[in-house]
Amino acid sequence: MSQIATPGSSDGALLRLRSVFKVYDTGETPFTALKGIDLDVHTGEFVGIIGKSGSGKTTLINMITGIDHPTSGEIVIDGTPVHDLGENDLARWRGRTIGVVFQFFQLLPTLTVRENILLPMDFCHMWAPRERVDRAMDLLEQVELADQANKLPAALSGGQQQRAAIARALANDPPILAADEPTGNLDSKTADAVFGLFERLVEHHKTIIMVTHDNDMANRVRRALHVSDGEIIEERVHRPRAGA
Amino acid sequence: MHAVRWKKVFRDLASHRFRTVLVVLSIATGIFAVGVVMGGRAILLREFDSEFAASVPLNADFYTMPFSDPIVRRAREYPGVAEAMGRHSASLRYRWAGADAPRTLSLVAIKDYDDVTVQRIVPETVRSWPPKRGEIVLERAALQVGKYEIGDTLEVETRTGEKKILTVSGFAHDINAVPAQFVGSETGYVSFESLPDIGEAKSYNELLVAMTGTSLTQREASLLAENIKRDVLEENGITVLGVYVPKPGSHFLGDIFKAVSLLLLALGLLSLLLSGFLVVNTVSALMAQQIKQVGIMKAIGGRASQVTWMYLGMVAIYGVLAVLVGVPASAWAGQQFIEFAAGVLNFRVSSYVPPDWVTTLEVGVGLVVPLLAAIVPIRLGTRTSVVKALTQTGVDSAAFGHGLVDRVLGLLRGLPRPVALSLRNTFLRKGRLLLTLTTLSLASAVVMSVFSVQASINQTTDDLEDWWRYEAQVRYERQTDQAGTERIIKGTPGVTEVESWVGTTVTLDRPDGTTAEGLNLIGTPYDTTFIHPTMLAGRWLQVGDEDAVVVNTDARKSEPSLDLGQRVTVEVAGEKRVLRVVGVVKGQFGGSALYMNREALTVLLPESGITQTLIKMSFTDTASQRRALDEIETRLDDANYRVVSTRTTAQFREQIASELGILVAFLVIMAVLLAAVGVIGLTGTMTINVIESTREIGVMRAIGAQHGSIYQIFITEGLAVGFMAWLIGAAAAYPMSYGLVSLLSGAIGLPLSYHFSLTGVGSWLGIIAAISVLASVAPAFRASQVSVRDAIAYE
Ligand SMILES: Nc1ncnc2c1ncn2[C@@H]1O[C@H](COP(=O)(O)OP(=O)(O)O)[C@@H](O)[C@H]1O
Ligand SMILES: [Mg+2]
Repeated sequence: MSQIATPGSSDGALLRLRSVFKVYDTGETPFTALKGIDLDVHTGEFVGIIGKSGSGKTTLINMITGIDHPTSGEIVIDGTPVHDLGENDLARWRGRTIGVVFQFFQLLPTLTVRENILLPMDFCHMWAPRERVDRAMDLLEQVELADQANKLPAALSGGQQQRAAIARALANDPPILAADEPTGNLDSKTADAVFGLFERLVEHHKTIIMVTHDNDMANRVRRALHVSDGEIIEERVHRPRAGA
Repeated sequence: MHAVRWKKVFRDLASHRFRTVLVVLSIATGIFAVGVVMGGRAILLREFDSEFAASVPLNADFYTMPFSDPIVRRAREYPGVAEAMGRHSASLRYRWAGADAPRTLSLVAIKDYDDVTVQRIVPETVRSWPPKRGEIVLERAALQVGKYEIGDTLEVETRTGEKKILTVSGFAHDINAVPAQFVGSETGYVSFESLPDIGEAKSYNELLVAMTGTSLTQREASLLAENIKRDVLEENGITVLGVYVPKPGSHFLGDIFKAVSLLLLALGLLSLLLSGFLVVNTVSALMAQQIKQVGIMKAIGGRASQVTWMYLGMVAIYGVLAVLVGVPASAWAGQQFIEFAAGVLNFRVSSYVPPDWVTTLEVGVGLVVPLLAAIVPIRLGTRTSVVKALTQTGVDSAAFGHGLVDRVLGLLRGLPRPVALSLRNTFLRKGRLLLTLTTLSLASAVVMSVFSVQASINQTTDDLEDWWRYEAQVRYERQTDQAGTERIIKGTPGVTEVESWVGTTVTLDRPDGTTAEGLNLIGTPYDTTFIHPTMLAGRWLQVGDEDAVVVNTDARKSEPSLDLGQRVTVEVAGEKRVLRVVGVVKGQFGGSALYMNREALTVLLPESGITQTLIKMSFTDTASQRRALDEIETRLDDANYRVVSTRTTAQFREQIASELGILVAFLVIMAVLLAAVGVIGLTGTMTINVIESTREIGVMRAIGAQHGSIYQIFITEGLAVGFMAWLIGAAAAYPMSYGLVSLLSGAIGLPLSYHFSLTGVGSWLGIIAAISVLASVAPAFRASQVSVRDAIAYE
């Protein structure tokens, strides 16, 4: 059954964007990077955002994670009007609601893999301190890195670092995971493994929004949004492959 | 504190050891400078004041004809007198194997050394105390002048010209004795029993009086001294030859102390400022370096306040480490400093422990100043929006990079590529550059000012040279036959010309009714060619002047009524005379002096004869001058003329230079400290620039840059900063040194001639170039070690 999201029929959407504009102040002529984005995402969806370089993918996902503010428009996630939050509330909200995965992994270099995963829990005061370590180890097992827990990030391969970063994004058990080209710096085999990890998470009812410019990846997500020049120009929906 | 975020803080400190050491050193330098300077100043004043107070300084000193114990008892019972004691003092010439010329001994004999109630004397290293018959204990400042040792013999010339031996039996300290290096005479203590052996009477000729009252004014002290002179001495038939009433509670080196302590205070405040700059600088750089991590932490749920606390915590740890290093280091250096000061200023130190407020200040400088300085850069960093933080590569470079600098640099097309690149780097980090530049410029300005102060002091002594147009002078014990002495001196080989002066001490009636005793009134020929006075106001003496006097700046400072155009009443040889001040000349470090026509003064004196002879010589080297002067003294001695002192002009100049040298020494300490702060600051900046440019360096290496060009880039950058600091510093040094010289002039009460040292400016250019290269070498080495892989890993 098709699940085309149409503006207006957004009841129950986990994530809702309405006429989101983003204008960058670049000296003489302001540059409009997002031109009125409308989007609804429901719980458990795996959404891929594809498009050429410079089309506005990063800008769009930064709106969703609250890393950047829209110039105008509304962003409501899980009932919270993100566009209205101040920096501090945003940080706390993000810590609990959205796990962010970066293209360059961005693990803190002086903390071990496990400590990197403990950090979001520490910042957001999630879980009792003694539970945290168990939880971190659970997450590392999920991403098959339990044996690397005490190493510094620099000692890990790119794929391992990205899996650790995903474990970190999951630390506070957020309903949503947002990833900007998470496989962009990985070879295709490791990229595959990371993608497989995302698929498993979706099976466990996480909602994932992933930017990619890899068409192959795009074909494997349930729902793919094609962004061009700051607009969503096309949307494809695939049935689950394994005939679920 | 075992939360993960604090782990990150500790790990960052541990894994960036070089940076940690650098920041800790910057803060510790501030603590050190403040601790040494403020602590040194506090200890100096405390120890000096407590020793001075404990010594029971005198309030009036009477030089008289012989008297004995009943007079002392009467003085002690006189209302307003706290303590009084009599002693015998004499000024004698002596020879010592360690000096090639006769020297002057200020001899003090005390009847009971266990009962010294005024101007206490403390034995230091003595074979026997009190001194036995035939022995002498020297005031320890003699050791600053020569290598006197226990067992040395002094051949003293008695008043009747006989030679007697005194054996040095130790050293004592008297904070009230003018240190030997300032007066050119050594103070020595003998027992009363030794007096007849050296031709002196076993009686008192000096009465020392300490008065009651803690806030005695100069006027009260003078009035009481006059009453004692009249009621205790003159009423009982004791002739008073002179009275000396110092400003109550002030030491004769008080002015120098004031100057030194002012300098130290200025230095202390300056170092506080500089260390604040250093901390702002390093913390800003730290934040610039950590900005991406700040962004990540905020992206995964860290609030700005949480992240701010982490970095404040980091700075606090730097502070604690700096306190642990800086406080003991400054205590050690402070002790060295005080030992040095105690040596040159001749006081004893009973404790090197700085007062609590200094330690508190040091801890404050170590903890509070860094935190205050860090708040702004930390807040700027942690408030940066997540996107900006994640995409930023350097500080402000995006906004600045395409601006004026690039356009200006674009014009300089002839520059080799690495030089152009490093100039660009230099300007790009403008905030940090500004702070480093400020620090280094301030340090440069101070260093160059110190050069100028030193040059001004040299100029001042050169100006003295210009005043003195003679090579040597001889003073006689009493008025002496002019023709006879001149004949002997002229007959000595090397002497080309002589001139005789007459001098006496007079008493000035002050407008407030008190009197000032012991002013020197000097009679010189109005057309003398032996001095070239520096006129500050009015005119010099003229033919026919009878009641006209010219005063020097020292006299005008101590007796303000002696000003141009004033009529003043002085008592000359027991008669009141009204004199007219017609001119003011610059003082010559010889104390207060009033000059009048020799013929006019001779008329006022009951006896005829002169008191000193000025000598011009054909010798230009000081050794020959000294030898000729010794020959003159021997010939005068043989003819039974009683000489009290001789000195060559060169020798006197040396003495003055050594006195002013103390100030220079303190200034040099100041300059070295500030230069150190500058070096550490520049090294820090350069290191941080390297860290920040890791990526550029990697790219340059990737496209084939050799070690050499990378060194060249960073060393050029260091030199550029050093050169700018030199330029700014040189501009600032002019007003700064002028201010410093006027400050010193005011403090020591003598006008110093201002001279801006271009040599100093030139030398500092060389020094700062060397410093800049040194400060850049370690960072440049790090840069050359950057591999392409590292550079890319830095993203
Ligand atoms: N901070 C910024 N200031 C100005 N323009 C920007 C900024 N960030 C992105 N842009 C511009 O916005 C457009 C979209 O950028 P981005 O969202 O990063 O594209 P993508 O991620 O699809 O490559 C690009 O043209 C880019 O140059
Ligand atoms: Mg992008």
